[in-house]
Amino acid sequence: MAMASINATASNNVRAGGLSEQWRYRLISLVIIVVLLAAWEFAPRAGLVSAIILPPLSKVAHALLTLVQQDFFMRHFTVTLREILIGFVLGTLIGFGIGTALAIWPAVKRVSYPFVVGFQAIPKIVFAPLFIAWFGFGETSKVVMAVVIAFFPVLINTLVGLESVPEDARRLMRSIRATQLQTFYKVSLPHALPVIFAGVKAALTFAVIGAIVGEFVGASEGLGYLVDLYNHQLRIDRVFAVITILAAIGAGGYFLLEWLDAKLIFWRNEEGR
Amino acid sequence: MHSMTPEANPGPPGFASPPKPIVEARGLAKTFSISGSEVTALEGVDLSIRRGEFISFVGPSGCGKSTFLNMVAGLLSPTGGEALVNGVAVREPSRQVGFMFQTPVLLPWRTVEQNVLMPAEVFGRKDKAVRDKARSVIEAVGLGGFVGAYPRQLSGGMQQRVALARILTYEPEVLLMDEPFGALDEFTREAMNLELMRITRAAGITVLFVTHNITEAVFMSDRVVVMTPRPGKVSGMVDIALPRPREIGLMQKQAFADLIFEVRGILGHGHG
Repeated sequence: MAMASINATASNNVRAGGLSEQWRYRLISLVIIVVLLAAWEFAPRAGLVSAIILPPLSKVAHALLTLVQQDFFMRHFTVTLREILIGFVLGTLIGFGIGTALAIWPAVKRVSYPFVVGFQAIPKIVFAPLFIAWFGFGETSKVVMAVVIAFFPVLINTLVGLESVPEDARRLMRSIRATQLQTFYKVSLPHALPVIFAGVKAALTFAVIGAIVGEFVGASEGLGYLVDLYNHQLRIDRVFAVITILAAIGAGGYFLLEWLDAKLIFWRNEEGR
Repeated sequence: MHSMTPEANPGPPGFASPPKPIVEARGLAKTFSISGSEVTALEGVDLSIRRGEFISFVGPSGCGKSTFLNMVAGLLSPTGGEALVNGVAVREPSRQVGFMFQTPVLLPWRTVEQNVLMPAEVFGRKDKAVRDKARSVIEAVGLGGFVGAYPRQLSGGMQQRVALARILTYEPEVLLMDEPFGALDEFTREAMNLELMRITRAAGITVLFVTHNITEAVFMSDRVVVMTPRPGKVSGMVDIALPRPREIGLMQKQAFADLIFEVRGILGHGHG
């Protein structure tokens, strides 16, 4: 830590009068983004790529603005958002529950861990048609798909987090005759929380994938359905518009979780205070 | 802090022992089974420890000193003999006994005060008396200004002070310490040695102190138990009849050097 800050100061001094390191990197990122967006705009216009395959950026922006003003859009948007949220919450709870059970009862872990790993080895997207057959064309099949993809990172991270509690901490709790429950919520759970939260963030991304894949395979509404529909209609500008909205949902949720993470696990960055 | 009972302040060691020892080991032994073969971690130990005594266990790794301590704590069950605290055989951990580890094991999401109060919460006590007690103990270990600080803001020595305060708050009669200052630098260690002697003397606590540092053991103790490995066993016992209170200057005295020499003699040649 100390070394890093000394190095940073030294390199700043070398470029006296220049931008700080952080800002230089931000500037480089910004330049790359601008160049890419400019290429997106002008490559189709200059005929380098077909405007049907890759519509210019301005057309996509226009499509996005018109799309969000349509009455039908809100319906598709809320359907997918609901699928993602329910899938994410259920997946997180199930993953946390199973992960905790595996961590607390070694016997449960020994018996069921092979099944858990075996299940994870299956590319779960193959279940999508099956879930449509089982749960119908409605939201349920998409929620199930989201849950099935999302629960695993939470499960593994809960297990790993709870098992990484230092031996001395367990012995401390034993030495004061703490019950298993007390040890769990006073020591193990808070200790595991940062790791669990990393799994929760992954679960959100996976829930989005699950919901969209479910809609691709069979649905009559939702953003994934719209992407599929517009793709068939070769309205690629609208395809990109929906992708932008999906990216916004993912990024928004992620930043919300980041914020919650920082609030909840406040001790991680305690050094700076 | 604690009221001083007469037997809490033993006179110079080596004289009349009180009738009832606070900690006792009777043939206390431990063998581990490692991949089929039996390994003796500790050969039968017989030992009586007086109330208020400060006793250290020194020896190289594998001499069974930590094993001994863990059995007295009830964290490890013996394979032979028994450990007794206040005349009762140890079967499980007890609140009469506090255990301090080499790492402070503080909970980083809790402030100093919240860490110190953690055992009280486990015991179901949240009253004002216990909070006042915690405050006064934090004061006593020299962390009065850090009640609301988080562990990461504290140095290693300060973190071990918090760990000590956490134990003192629930007023155990016996304090077991497993190389608690092993990770500290020499200057911090000396400061901690002085503080530990002062605090435990004032509270009349019996201390069983495990260390591989001979100087530290001789400096603080009434008695030093010397242990050797393969198999782990007690090889000798040295009474430290140095006057109290002890100051750092004591380490330059010939009597001190003689005692160090005596301990080293029992440990045998070739040891540090």
